[in-house]
Amino acid sequence: MSAQTFFIGFFGLAAVWFGIVVFRTFSMVRSALALLFSQTALGAMFLSMQAEFLGVLQIMMMATEMSIMAIFMVMFMMDPGGLGEMDMTHQKRLSLSAGIVSFVAAVAVAVFVDWGPVAHTAPDAAQQTVDLGLELLGRSMLIFETAGVTILTAMIAATAVAIQPATWRSKHEH
Amino acid sequence: MTTVLILLLLALGAYLVAVIETWTITGRFQLAAPLFAGIALLGRESIVPRKPDRIFFEVAPVLLLISAILAAAVVPLTPDLIITDLATGALFINAALVYVLVALLMAGWGPDGAYAMIGGWRFLGQLIAYAMLIVMPITAVVMRAESLLTTQIVVSQAGVWNIVYQPLGFVLFFIAAMALAFLPPFDLPTAKGELAGGVEAEYTGVRLAVFRLGRLALIITLAAATVIFYLGGWQGPWLPPWAWSAIKILVVTATMLLIGRFMPRIREADLLAWCWIFGIPLALLNIFLVGVLVLVLP
Repeated sequence: MSAQTFFIGFFGLAAVWFGIVVFRTFSMVRSALALLFSQTALGAMFLSMQAEFLGVLQIMMMATEMSIMAIFMVMFMMDPGGLGEMDMTHQKRLSLSAGIVSFVAAVAVAVFVDWGPVAHTAPDAAQQTVDLGLELLGRSMLIFETAGVTILTAMIAATAVAIQPATWRSKHEH
Repeated sequence: MTTVLILLLLALGAYLVAVIETWTITGRFQLAAPLFAGIALLGRESIVPRKPDRIFFEVAPVLLLISAILAAAVVPLTPDLIITDLATGALFINAALVYVLVALLMAGWGPDGAYAMIGGWRFLGQLIAYAMLIVMPITAVVMRAESLLTTQIVVSQAGVWNIVYQPLGFVLFFIAAMALAFLPPFDLPTAKGELAGGVEAEYTGVRLAVFRLGRLALIITLAAATVIFYLGGWQGPWLPPWAWSAIKILVVTATMLLIGRFMPRIREADLLAWCWIFGIPLALLNIFLVGVLVLVLP
């Protein structure tokens, strides 16, 4: 077993373990940061697979996103510190079966899909960054721009509905 | 060997930051003061507050230090004096420094104290303000260098330094770097005199020593990042490359600390508003201008 296989397996298991911790803990902040470390472990898996840009990007993006999620979980949950030992799971039977079905589906996709010829050597990291840039501004540009604009629209819409209209404010505040 | 040397230089740099910080605040130049302060901290009792989130409480100071060290790993002091010249170096600096936020959140939430918690969440708001002003100016720097390699970024400034080529980006990055290092006037998460130390409030003894060391390492790392992105890195006449790196980094550090000395602390809401209303459009303008320059100039 090569070092590469070992580290991919190690970080994969770490990602799964932190994913389990998300539901084992009672604390909202622990739960959010456990999800962060699960995602960071995924980033480390990318690094082990020699996809340097993707790995660093994953490790960078998730830190901000999960931290912001943490404050929303603290704001909106009734027991943010977890001292009341609120159960983090609900609809147990449905979520269990949904989890098993999606796991089987993911494994089936991994095993049965024809992935084409396996690449034995990866291009060096700088070349990968160049290739990725050309891909994003070429063939995949429409997909990424559509996704980007959709997310931006959602953010603006969410902000717009969160702001109280000025007329409402003047009526209710003195 | 290079790794050990850079870690030693980082420790020396952190020490000098402490000396310079004392000098900017009190006007006295005391070379031995941080040493005695450090020994005093190590000698003190390190108290654990009641009902802490123990994992976060213990991990936070160490994580702060680690993220500063990781960012320093891709900063070249001379063409050869760099721990690892990553192909994604400029992005990696940012990725490592985002964990400063995670560390401060942990330090805020961990000790179960009101002041600490306010300080921790405040820094999250501060990140929303400064984050884009770190990333967007770096994008413009990378556009000119046509590479994410930090060494390549320094080489790209052989003719004209980026501070001249993209002064707008420099100003934005400089301000954002001060906010990232929570230096005054952006010291909202610690806010001495208002939050009683904020995220530092519940830490004592050796844990506080590690936390403060992490903060000092963060400041020197950001000063070094400013130097390689905008001030031509190791380049300069007459003196050897390492000397230029050292001089520039110390001058940037002193400037960062001096500016804070003469500014009142900025309100959280004002910082967010100014960064989003003025900062981000200016950063986009900077990207556009650099794009035009890259295309027009040979």
